[in-house]
Amino acid sequence: MAKTILAVDDSGSLRQMVAFSLKAAGYDVVQAVDGQDGLNKAKEKTVDLVLTDQNMPIMDGLTLIKHLRELGSYKTVPILMLTTESSDEMKAKGKAAGANGWLVKPFDPKRLIEVVQKVIGS
Amino acid sequence: MEMKTLPITELRKLLGAVSDHGKQHLVEVEADLLQTTFLLSEAIEKLGASFTAVHEAVTEQQHMLDALVAKYALDQDELNRLDAFKQKIGEEVNAAVTSLQFQDLTSQLISRTIKRVNGLKDLLHEIETHSGEMDPSHEHQEIAKFLDAMSHSLNEGSHALSGGLRRSVGQQDMATGEIDLF
Repeated sequence: MAKTILAVDDSGSLRQMVAFSLKAAGYDVVQAVDGQDGLNKAKEKTVDLVLTDQNMPIMDGLTLIKHLRELGSYKTVPILMLTTESSDEMKAKGKAAGANGWLVKPFDPKRLIEVVQKVIGS
Repeated sequence: MEMKTLPITELRKLLGAVSDHGKQHLVEVEADLLQTTFLLSEAIEKLGASFTAVHEAVTEQQHMLDALVAKYALDQDELNRLDAFKQKIGEEVNAAVTSLQFQDLTSQLISRTIKRVNGLKDLLHEIETHSGEMDPSHEHQEIAKFLDAMSHSLNEGSHALSGGLRRSVGQQDMATGEIDLF
């Protein structure tokens, strides 16, 4: 059974490219348009990995991670940030919030798949 | 000694004109940026849809080729050429996926620019509010008070604008970003 990845980003084109890359590698993808939408979808179904942007309306990525880590079912689910932010300060905040990794946009599909496979397997 | 008088009426006119003209230009800038955002968004949507459709067609074509290769005996040179095409297509698809992320980066930059334009409009509005009537019998004190108040407002407005507009996109090109696993 294919593993499911929740992709959270307010940019439609970015979600499209993330979904395209992950589906081509055999993963199922659930998409969310912001942190709040991501949180709602994460509660509906526990996914194998969360890939989230940082700067989004309504709820940003760091807040989403904090909320997810408060849920029993998401204590150990890997969460990766995929964002334009690249400062050490933001990365430290992400790590403190409970992120397992930080990917700076734009992403290379091949490298993204390698990281996802490393974190949750094929 | 001759007492010099300050041209308060002209100063008020100048401030009003700076505010009016400035706001007028900024409205145009904002409209252009919004139109650019819309055009970019529509373009990327169509590019993305076409890209996905082309990729699906190429994938189907590849499946057919694989079936034909299995059915008919091709020599090693032909097999190598097909493999090279397949690899080249894969590399180009990856490059396209990376490039198609440009809209996410540019829309964030444009959004930040629009916020800055709106902040400038607020600052110009602030100038306008300070260009009201002044008591001509106390014009020196009035103008000093007025300039001081305007300077204070502009500093506050400028500080608030800069503080609320942290730069979130530092990318200078479409080279792929770094990856850190914690």
